[in-house]
Amino acid sequence: MVLARATKLHKSYSLGKTKVSVLRGVNLEVNEGEMLAITGSSGCGKSTLLHILGALDAPDQGTVSFAGEDLFAAGTWRRDAVRNRDVGFVFQFYHLLPEFNVLENVLMPRMVGTSTLDWMSSRKSAIAKAGEILGTVGLKDRLKHRPKELSGGERQRVAIARAIMNEPRFLLADEPTGNLDAKMGKGIMDCLRSLNQKGQTIVLVTHDPLIAKQADRQVRLVDGRIEP
Amino acid sequence: MYKLFLTFRYLISKWVAVFSVLSVWLCVAMVLIVFSVMDGFLDNIKQHSRGLLGDIIIDNKTLQGFPYYDEFSVYLKEQMPGEIDVVTPVIYSYGIMREPRTKFTQPVRIVAIDFDAYCEVNDFYDSLYYERYYPNTTSLGPVQIPVAGVDSKGKPFLPQELEEAHQKYLKNRDESKVDKTDFDETNYNSPHGVGYFFNEYGTPAMEGDPLPGIVIGTDVAYSRNKEGQYDRGLQRGTKIILTILPLTSGGNIAENPIPVAMRNVDDSRTKVYEIDKVCVYVDFKLFQEYLSMGSLELVDGTYSKPRASQLLVSLTKGQDYNALQPKIEEVWAEFLGTLAGNVTPIDARLLETVGVDTWETRQQAFIQAVEKEKVLVTILFAIISIVAIVLIGVVFYMIVLQKTRDIGIIKSLGATSAGVAMIFIMYGAIIGVIGGILGILTGTTVVANINELQSWLASLNPKMQVWSPEVYTFDRIPSVVKPMVIFAVFCMAVLTSTLGALVPALKAAWVWPVKTLRYE
Ligand SMILES: Nc1ncnc2c1ncn2[C@@H]1O[C@H](COP(=O)(O)OP(=O)(O)O)[C@@H](O)[C@H]1O
Ligand SMILES: [Mg+2]
Repeated sequence: MVLARATKLHKSYSLGKTKVSVLRGVNLEVNEGEMLAITGSSGCGKSTLLHILGALDAPDQGTVSFAGEDLFAAGTWRRDAVRNRDVGFVFQFYHLLPEFNVLENVLMPRMVGTSTLDWMSSRKSAIAKAGEILGTVGLKDRLKHRPKELSGGERQRVAIARAIMNEPRFLLADEPTGNLDAKMGKGIMDCLRSLNQKGQTIVLVTHDPLIAKQADRQVRLVDGRIEP
Repeated sequence: MYKLFLTFRYLISKWVAVFSVLSVWLCVAMVLIVFSVMDGFLDNIKQHSRGLLGDIIIDNKTLQGFPYYDEFSVYLKEQMPGEIDVVTPVIYSYGIMREPRTKFTQPVRIVAIDFDAYCEVNDFYDSLYYERYYPNTTSLGPVQIPVAGVDSKGKPFLPQELEEAHQKYLKNRDESKVDKTDFDETNYNSPHGVGYFFNEYGTPAMEGDPLPGIVIGTDVAYSRNKEGQYDRGLQRGTKIILTILPLTSGGNIAENPIPVAMRNVDDSRTKVYEIDKVCVYVDFKLFQEYLSMGSLELVDGTYSKPRASQLLVSLTKGQDYNALQPKIEEVWAEFLGTLAGNVTPIDARLLETVGVDTWETRQQAFIQAVEKEKVLVTILFAIISIVAIVLIGVVFYMIVLQKTRDIGIIKSLGATSAGVAMIFIMYGAIIGVIGGILGILTGTTVVANINELQSWLASLNPKMQVWSPEVYTFDRIPSVVKPMVIFAVFCMAVLTSTLGALVPALKAAWVWPVKTLRYE
């Protein structure tokens, strides 16, 4: 079953007077439960495509349907809700909030999606859930640490924990190992793979063929199109 | 939920926010202090004006005064029996006061009053010093010098009359009425520590020739020490020469200046410096005669009508002076009608210009000036508030710029633009609340101790004596803290802070997440 389908995506950036076409008619299907790797050389538009798939950016042309719904035909508030509930992002540079500890960072998506009143009643279960997730990524004893007190690999695991906190149907990871050494990178990949084994749909962007090999399926972005 | 959470976390982790709190704090404290002093000033002026004048004032604003005041007093009371309480005449004149012993001279404004009636018509009685501690001993009639003596045990005591009066005071003592500026025990040589008396080693006595009494404005003769208390350097009963200049009804100087020997019986502190610095109070009947304002035989054998400078009217309790003023004006017109034809041309001229005013209209120029000043200060503070808004705006803008990436992260987690804007708007509001509360606490504390603060500053450096009684009427800095003002200032603080945070908040809402998330 197809979870997300991108059709004829176009995206270009204007740099001064020149226009750089990054995506030139991308068609892509992501099946439910699969782990898909998007590869391509650096600067070919992988991140751009991933952001559009996750409703973080808008295409110039083309559509993205997510679970049958046309994302960019709906209003912004709808995309905000989709980002909160149905999509989890993992970035190359972790992007944790420095003022908050590990537990709070992981709770953040839940807080964003919950009103103050509901939060009061659901707070306990949310904390328990966050603790459980942090346990599965091996950070059970780091709940009260600030991001800057953690190593790169630990930070990325916190980011993964945050991404799956709301049990999204779609996990998007943009070069999750790009900033890590081989050993830490392996840890992260193990983590993602075990999530995928439990049924999590994952789209992984990487320029590293070794990483891409671990996915169920690989596609390559060349000249703004998906190579078959 | 995340909004409040983030707001509070940023509040405690961003120390630049302290600057915004500080600016709101200072602004609020400043506005509160200035408004409290101005309100106190206005209230005091209103209260004192009424307290020193009476409800209604009738005069023609000349030095020679107007005739038929006595007849009118009777007439007015007949016409409005339920509404008029007391009507009393006053004469104003100028003279030179001299203390023969020290040769100390000073120009004074003479206020000739019917002591009992004047005390009834306004708050003059409460302003008297000796009368407070020795009730019923102040009189403008002929008085002698009270001299303290010593009893068999070597303990000083005053003449019986004063001792009894003081016992009476002690019995009815009302702590709340004790004036802090009165006491300075080391400077008082009376057995009770209040008042300054002549003393001898013999038995106490009333000595010296009986002379008319004079009540001196406290600031005419005395100055205050560092503690703010008066050094009353003239013994009670000290002889004083008051030289006066009589005027005819035509306004000519009637005779040579007359020196009148008198005795200091008391001093009056109305707390309006302009009054206490110049006024002395003497007996009405006596000075009417001395000032040639009594009934005089004229060249043609007839007698002139006695004159007074002013009639002060107090209304019975619950009457509205504004409502009764036109009625009294009418009664005055009627009264002039009854006189028609029987008045000499000079008297007619003096009567023509007599007007009936309420104490409020009489002080209006002054009250309006202060009220206008208040508007000015409000405008000034509106401008200062704009500065505060800009400051908060700049500080928040900095925070937003610093936090652009984090804003992007929060948005990638599904936060709406409105939600992100709310974080900063609430941030501003909270800074307003904190700054407002701190400002109100500081402001009210300063206002409550403003006079102490002033004397402390002045003791550090005399140049820091900002409150000068000569300029500002009252000898102490007046102040009232009105709950309405506190409320308004607080609302303004929260509003301006929120407003200051608005532009940065919109900027934050505008942040497009992808741009900031691409890089580290
Ligand atoms: N905001 C932007 N403005 C201009 N050019 C951009 C912007 N974002 C990305 N680009 C350009 O678009 C191209 C694709 O970028 P990106 O999607 O990050 O590639 P990748 O992730 O494959 O390395 C790059 O050449 C980059 O310089
Ligand atoms: Mg990239």
